Amino acid sequence: MQFLTPLAFALSALAIPIILLYMLKLRRKQTQVSSTMLWEKLLKDRQANAPWQKLKRNLLLFLQLLILAALVFALARPALQTKVVASGSVIVMLDASASMNATDVTPSRFEEARKSVLTLINGLSSDSAMTLILVAKTPQTLIASETDKSLLKDVLSKAQVTQGSADWSAAFALAAGATRNGAASTVVIVSDGGLPESGLPALPSEVRYIPIGQADDNLAISALALRASNGVPQLFAEVTNTSNVDRKILLSLYLGNDLFDARQLDIPANSQKSVSLENLPITTAIYKAHISDPAEASKSLDSLALDDTAFAVYQSSTARRALLVSNGNLFLEQLLASLPGIQPFRALPAADGTLQIPSEPFDLYIFDGAIPAELPNSNLLLINPPTNPFFEVGETVKEIKNIQVNENPLTRYVDWKTVHVLQAQKATMPNWMNILIESDSTPLVAAGEKNGQRIAALTFDLRESDLPLQIAYPILFSNLIDYLAPPSAFDSSQSLQAGESLTLVPPTDAEQVVISSPSNKAFTLAAGQTLFSQTDELGYYAVNFVSKDSTKVEYFAVNLFNPAESDLSPRETLQIGSVSVIPAASQQVGLQELWKWLAGLALFVLMIEWQVFHRKPFKIRMKDKG
Amino acid sequence: MPMLFDETTLRKLNQLTLVASRVRSGAIKGERRSSHRGSSVEFADYRNYTAGDDLRRLDWNIYARLEKPFIKLLEEEEDLAVYVLIDGSRSMDWGEGEEHKFNYVLKLAAGIGSIALSSGDLLSVGFLQGGHVTSEFGPSRGQYALPRLFRFLESLKANQQTDLNASLRDYSIAPRRAGLVILISDLFAADGYESGLRQLLSRGHEAALIHVLSPDEVDPPLAGDLQLVDIETNFEQDVSVDGGLRNLYRARVQAWIQSTQADCRKHGIRYLDLVTSQPWEQALLLEMRRTEMVK
Repeated sequence: MQFLTPLAFALSALAIPIILLYMLKLRRKQTQVSSTMLWEKLLKDRQANAPWQKLKRNLLLFLQLLILAALVFALARPALQTKVVASGSVIVMLDASASMNATDVTPSRFEEARKSVLTLINGLSSDSAMTLILVAKTPQTLIASETDKSLLKDVLSKAQVTQGSADWSAAFALAAGATRNGAASTVVIVSDGGLPESGLPALPSEVRYIPIGQADDNLAISALALRASNGVPQLFAEVTNTSNVDRKILLSLYLGNDLFDARQLDIPANSQKSVSLENLPITTAIYKAHISDPAEASKSLDSLALDDTAFAVYQSSTARRALLVSNGNLFLEQLLASLPGIQPFRALPAADGTLQIPSEPFDLYIFDGAIPAELPNSNLLLINPPTNPFFEVGETVKEIKNIQVNENPLTRYVDWKTVHVLQAQKATMPNWMNILIESDSTPLVAAGEKNGQRIAALTFDLRESDLPLQIAYPILFSNLIDYLAPPSAFDSSQSLQAGESLTLVPPTDAEQVVISSPSNKAFTLAAGQTLFSQTDELGYYAVNFVSKDSTKVEYFAVNLFNPAESDLSPRETLQIGSVSVIPAASQQVGLQELWKWLAGLALFVLMIEWQVFHRKPFKIRMKDKG
Repeated sequence: MPMLFDETTLRKLNQLTLVASRVRSGAIKGERRSSHRGSSVEFADYRNYTAGDDLRRLDWNIYARLEKPFIKLLEEEEDLAVYVLIDGSRSMDWGEGEEHKFNYVLKLAAGIGSIALSSGDLLSVGFLQGGHVTSEFGPSRGQYALPRLFRFLESLKANQQTDLNASLRDYSIAPRRAGLVILISDLFAADGYESGLRQLLSRGHEAALIHVLSPDEVDPPLAGDLQLVDIETNFEQDVSVDGGLRNLYRARVQAWIQSTQADCRKHGIRYLDLVTSQPWEQALLLEMRRTEMVK
């Protein structure tokens, strides 16, 4: 026990005026009585008039002195010394990754971690501040440099564990930013040790580590994928045993809700086994893999249930229809015919030169050299076009020099060094079009999106360059056509990890995109939004493209598939920078202040004193002299 | 001070007679039986004849039958001298309304006086103030003296410090016929009353003591830190009254009453303690009869 402001004890001198006031309070009420004879005799017996006895008997005075004592002690700030992991400026990094869902400690590792942080908060001295960082896929600072324990506890109670991996590098960057504010601070990592083995930056402050978790018994479905092999889907599943004992498991595979295959696997310690299935139905389907105990299927197999189930989606691809409107361009025709997943159509201009556009819709229109009076409201590839609604086209430029390829996904792998262009049209591209390749005098290739309509343009005739003879040609056009006519709204063959974003290109006729999560939460994407990032839950998501007259549903799966998260074995040490951090004991001395209890006591006694004051009978009958 | 004796009360008072156990010889024949055998018509007893006895009182019938001379003794009736002494100290001027101690005492005195007068006794009323008897009524006899008694009582004021002992001694010095002395007082006297009363007893008087207290003297409604001022002596007494002290005080009052009672019994003094919350008629008609002061 120590006192942080012992000077406050000087205030106990206030007891003197209180006692003095009480003694002076012997300015008694004069009361007439018929005779004091009996009182005299009585008091002679009792000697009750002695001042000290008055003090002893006076409950009010006693209570007031008690209040003063409690307040003085509270102001003196008594504190008990306690051993705590960290004190002063503390930065807590709370692991909220998927492995923290493990139930090897009850109720779960995350709750255990929450308890540890709560202990830290309770052990904070009053001048200590805590920053709380929740380490998930996107680490976030829940509260920064807060001294109010109740606020800290409130924030802590609202923290939620995630089903994804943890981005420790980003979390360390946050922590480093927080340490820069204060002089000396302590970083406390509360985790089950799923940190990267190396590559973490050193922190400028002292690092402590509170390990969470005990067991390492975990089996995980580490992969579940589908791919088309000769047009027939093929399923590949892999199960990993991260524990140190050999395990026997039952792998059940479901197509939709129906079990179509189940097999027992013997998996040695720290190794994997894979299974592949062929000749699956071609139709779009959701595959589910589940591992369980062969002896008792309902019993949980291991501590972490998240990675015992995985989903995969097979999307039967539909060919994209492309219409080439041209007087005849061998290079283009051959290219379209050779691109996979493209069903090319060709429209020849009429004899009088007018362009005939079929009424049926196409995913992509390619206009070579000419454009119709009215452009279709779909994705367009314009090759050597005249002036059109999107941009102006000027005179022909002969000098094409200093060709520059701009960094863009569409120009990836495009090697333009050996390409020569004889002449091109001078065009002014609008702002929404990205210029992909340009020369000194005019842009050569540009692409962009306006109101959901994707436009790509080449300002030169293919026949007036050597592009069709170069390697860059199929690459550039494949990129452009995949951009203009995406094979599917998104690629569902690869499953995502929790927290990863899904890029999707809605069909142009889709008016609304609604995504429902595994727990049937609905997310509606805003118009023009192509990124969906609320993939926090594991399972499969349904993406509904609602158009005027129909609704198209596509699926994608979110799985854990993270060896670091599935490996539950507790980590003895953490490697941070060049330092090994061992589990922290309670090394620092924290102070648990007691003034709140004393202030509460003072308040309590004050209430009692109030009661006593009002209950005391002061019914005095005064004899009126008149 | 209105002395309201209504007809009913008066009639009841008239039926009562003061009792003195050791009856004193009266100066005139009264309505009271005397211990002396005398010449009335009521038979009392026989005794042997001795020489010199009045032959007129010899019972000749007995002599004829037994041939032995017996003297027939007849009752003699006589009156009683009644002395009512009222404590006139300022402490008696205490209480509110019906419970006012002095008014109560005056009514008691009037009642006793009325009883005495109606039964043909010789009544004197003495008012004790300072160390003396400041004013005196009587001796009077007969109902006609009643209005005078009331007027006398009405004129009394309890406004002086009083030494009971000195006053009683003062009263006993004057030559008086032995009789019944009734002292009405609150006994709030620093020097006590005992020696004064004893002196009266030694003069051959029979004594009775009516001890009158007001309710707030028995159970004072006081609490807190007080300075009590004695209205008689102006003595100031600091006291911090709480529940415990009040209990002590009540016990003390009871002990005081009991010790006074015991002391009185020892000296053959009849004692009656009254609290003014009890109606005075009730005190007269019930309490005094209970303690055999009247019959």
